Amino acid sequence: MATSPSHSSPESAIIEQVITEFFAKSLHIILESRSPYVSSRNYTVDQFMSSPSSSCSSSSSMPRDKWFNLALRDCPAALENFDIWRKSNLEPLVIDIILIRRALVPDVARPLGGCLLRNFSENSDLALEPKSWKIVERWIVQYERHKSSSSKNHKDIRKCGTKNNGGSSCSSETAFYKKTYKRYIILFRSLYVFIRLLPTYKLFHELNSSGQICPLSLSHRISSSIQPFTQEDEAKMNQFTFVPIDTPRGRLSLSVQYLRTLEDIRSEPSAPLSLQFILDYIGSPTTDPFRRLKSLPSAQSSPALVSFTRQHSWSNDHGALASVPLCPSVACSEACGIRCNPSLCLPPLTHRNDHSPPVISEPQNAAVTHKNNMSFDEFWPSPFSPTSSPSSPAHLPGQRSPNALQSGSSQIDIAKAHPITASQTKACSSEGKLQIKMDTLRYGNYQTGPTLVKGFPSGKDDTEKLAELPSSSTQGPLSRSFSGSSLLDKFDDSGFACPFADYKDVTESCNRRSPDAVVGAVVQMLLTAAPLRQDLSNLCRPPQVFMDESLNPCVQHDQANTEQSECPASTSEVLASVLLKSKTAAEGLEELRRYKELKESILKQGASRSSDVDSGPKSAGTNDQS
Amino acid sequence: MNCETCQLKELVVEPPEIREVLRCILHTILFHRALGLVRPKDVECELFDITYVQCEDHELEKKIDEKINQFIGWVEKHPNRKSQVCISFYEVKNKHATWFGNKIERFYWEQWYINLHIISPKPHGKSHNTKAHVVTGENAFEESNSRCAALESSLREVLFQIIKFVNEKKDHIPPLQNSEIVSYPYEISTPR
Repeated sequence: MATSPSHSSPESAIIEQVITEFFAKSLHIILESRSPYVSSRNYTVDQFMSSPSSSCSSSSSMPRDKWFNLALRDCPAALENFDIWRKSNLEPLVIDIILIRRALVPDVARPLGGCLLRNFSENSDLALEPKSWKIVERWIVQYERHKSSSSKNHKDIRKCGTKNNGGSSCSSETAFYKKTYKRYIILFRSLYVFIRLLPTYKLFHELNSSGQICPLSLSHRISSSIQPFTQEDEAKMNQFTFVPIDTPRGRLSLSVQYLRTLEDIRSEPSAPLSLQFILDYIGSPTTDPFRRLKSLPSAQSSPALVSFTRQHSWSNDHGALASVPLCPSVACSEACGIRCNPSLCLPPLTHRNDHSPPVISEPQNAAVTHKNNMSFDEFWPSPFSPTSSPSSPAHLPGQRSPNALQSGSSQIDIAKAHPITASQTKACSSEGKLQIKMDTLRYGNYQTGPTLVKGFPSGKDDTEKLAELPSSSTQGPLSRSFSGSSLLDKFDDSGFACPFADYKDVTESCNRRSPDAVVGAVVQMLLTAAPLRQDLSNLCRPPQVFMDESLNPCVQHDQANTEQSECPASTSEVLASVLLKSKTAAEGLEELRRYKELKESILKQGASRSSDVDSGPKSAGTNDQS
Repeated sequence: MNCETCQLKELVVEPPEIREVLRCILHTILFHRALGLVRPKDVECELFDITYVQCEDHELEKKIDEKINQFIGWVEKHPNRKSQVCISFYEVKNKHATWFGNKIERFYWEQWYINLHIISPKPHGKSHNTKAHVVTGENAFEESNSRCAALESSLREVLFQIIKFVNEKKDHIPPLQNSEIVSYPYEISTPR
């Protein structure tokens, strides 16, 4: 005869305890392999202490984690959630494993699966904001009570009671429990193995072992109600149900619905637009600077702030406008501008000894470059420039080119632009070019010292100057020198006749230099500028040849006047002396005009004399013709 | 008592993969039949993207490794053949004392048959043509990768098959006599 079970009886308490521990164990196993960073794997201390609870019966002396002969480490997340849930034992336990995809926003800079994220600005960081989530698994643990008392379980219980000769229902239930205990054990063994074969475990394992912040993360949600999936989601999911275990008064069941594959979710593009620029930029310190500059957007594209702001970080004096440096190195110090190829930033031709602000006397395109040069002067840094110079054109109305970024990005295109200016400077002597190269290296690679000497032949002066440079690199990697020389090679390869060719783009891109650097660069340009006298000498060549014997070109005159005490042994020294005494282009042209007039006058005189001698016969001839 | 038999799906393996495959399957079966108190130990397969579970019992691991070595030795002598590894669970009953000694009877209540088809790795075709050799090498590499992926998938199916079997068949399992014993008595049989 079946008797109605009494909840106050200890045997019923045992069954209740088993049911309670069944839920707890299920939750423990599931969360331990699905909840990153709170899994017991991350805890080194083994704790085999049963958590005190109000419903924990005194008869249960077995620690919780050893229930069902499966010793698990303490899982705080599971226990915490279970303590919250256990108030309603008869409600189903629904555990949703959720895959969260987060988007990176400018808040905190953190490594992201190999891609290094930089600060977007000095005061902003990157952060992960939840973007989308999806339930990838749903575990349902529930206890269904039998409505009818005359169930198979009761028959089995009675059998157990009869076998044990106890006769009472309590002892029969205990015997039944002992008989069915191995079923619980096997079920949890299967659960432990099965949960590690599901697709989500792989993701959990990756997240738990990487330690890096990833846009994907796993979370869980525990509830007591079952929210049905959509048909579309159900079609993508498999279901597995463990064989239910009967209890004297009900049945315990455990089932799972899981996505067959997570590849489609993981492969969904979720990277924000800014990340694409970051990827380009991340490769830039070790990649070719031209490659990096090519990939940079225009100044108008606001999300592309990473690289721009990096330059801003070392050129803080120049406001919010970002400019792309010519130097690829990420870790630019204040001397970053030095590492740039100064050949790109050289101003138009000016007199070397003209310390005053350059006069706009060049052709139109040169005037443009000169105008930009003024802004360039303002910002060009130089280690050799004085810290402050009253003559530094810091106050010059140099315009900050809105296309500074484009100019920086068009570093390679400088050779293609401004063919007129390139033609003007074709007459740069080889020595001048060499001087330019030396200065280039001096600016770009002064930290590497002797390597500069090795690469290029130079005169004594240059050698001495280079010897003064530090012999070891004090800042930055050696690769800077290679970048500088590579830049130089690039210009040579592209047919860039003279680094003086174009200044517009260069100067615009150099607007970020400090005033001291700009002044130093101007001084250097003036010192290394090709002599204007050369062009004039070329232009004057035909009349010079004509007048060489009679009037002597001003070169000789200048030499006679100014270089009496000097006997220049080489052409370069002659040119240098000529440079000192060279006149402006206007004066040269004026001189030319005078020479031409003089020539014409001489020719006329000669012609008139000859005409006077032949005036008689010629005039008769002329009359006959008319 | 009935003896439940489970024929696992045949796996096509190469000799270097035998150890990993057998370890995965044998430990999974034993984990479901070691009903004593165990502390599970997760093991990542070296050759496959599969995590299986071991009972943290050194004696168990040692015995399994010995049997695997024995099987590998047999494979080396008999290459390119189909073979079986059988793991049986029994209980000892009726120790009959006879004139010739104690006769111990074993009643097998469960047997698992692990079916393996051992194949030899395909050697690269000799070709004097460099290009053809490169192409052949690339094809062999792709073929090897696809075969390995198929094996991993098959191995995963075998593990699911084990889980399904142990969940559905429980009545034949004898009661636990002593919870201190980790596993039911078992024996692993390899071809001789």
